[in-house]
Amino acid sequence: MELVVPDLGEVDTVTVVRWLKGEGEAVEAGEAVVEVEADKAVFVIEAPAAGILRNAKPAGTQVRPGEVLAQIQSP
Amino acid sequence: MKWGLALRLGRMPYAPVWELQRRLHELRRAQKIPDILISLEHEPVITLGRSAQAQDLVAPKEELVKKGVEVFSVERGGGATYHGPGQLVLYPIVDLRALNFSVRQYVWALEEVMIRVGKDFGVELFRRPGFPGVWHTLGKVGFLGIYVRNWVTMHGLALNVALNPNGFAWIVPCGISDLSVISLSDILGQAVSVEEAENYALSAFSEVFSRELVKISGTEVKEWLSRHGLEWRSA
Repeated sequence: MELVVPDLGEVDTVTVVRWLKGEGEAVEAGEAVVEVEADKAVFVIEAPAAGILRNAKPAGTQVRPGEVLAQIQSP
Repeated sequence: MKWGLALRLGRMPYAPVWELQRRLHELRRAQKIPDILISLEHEPVITLGRSAQAQDLVAPKEELVKKGVEVFSVERGGGATYHGPGQLVLYPIVDLRALNFSVRQYVWALEEVMIRVGKDFGVELFRRPGFPGVWHTLGKVGFLGIYVRNWVTMHGLALNVALNPNGFAWIVPCGISDLSVISLSDILGQAVSVEEAENYALSAFSEVFSRELVKISGTEVKEWLSRHGLEWRSA
């Protein structure tokens, strides 16, 4: 499953500011995984399903809504 | 009109209010409480948002310790900022989905509240595209820093009403090294009370967010938290 930047409404790009879970770490469904920021607002993105976090885009990367931030590999 | 709660705390140190925000944010996310707006002034404090860089804190640590100014790294967006007496702070803990607000619309709404307070004092404040907050031709007057989880907000806005701006010299505010920071009282050249600004801000918030605000006291909030098995040390 993919971890995707949600549509925040009229926001073109957001910056990945901090991963709350590390590469290869297990995450639960609904668990806070990563924080992105736009317009002085930090927005927390949660895991859509349980799994192992893989291929996380590094902090500082600019991403667009709909873009894939990481993979959540089924456990 | 839908309603929300207004909690006026007066002057408070940073830590207990941060703790209160986190507890209320958790309860709001669980849909256990309605929207709530906290308004207050802080004792002198520096906070570092998620975008703050190490070099944004300019003052030597010893100087801050000597002056009793604490530094907190917090979860809001934005860089370094300074809060102190004479600055009106609003922390809305609101569900953006129920308001039908996008994050961008929420930022706009907080700026609108500050612009309206300015207008009530006869001061024209404006937005600058790409630089969230509100401005006067003489400098930045209103600041934003927001945290959103499950579409529920915390942290919020700070409006310089009659703030001694010296505290901003301890930091690089918002990561902008040549930023001019100014208060409504300096623009007007006369004393302005935070309480009056707070009254205007609560009315403006009520209009911009289409919410009737019902007052709640700190004691009531404490009782309310304890009913949910949560404690709050108020100072």
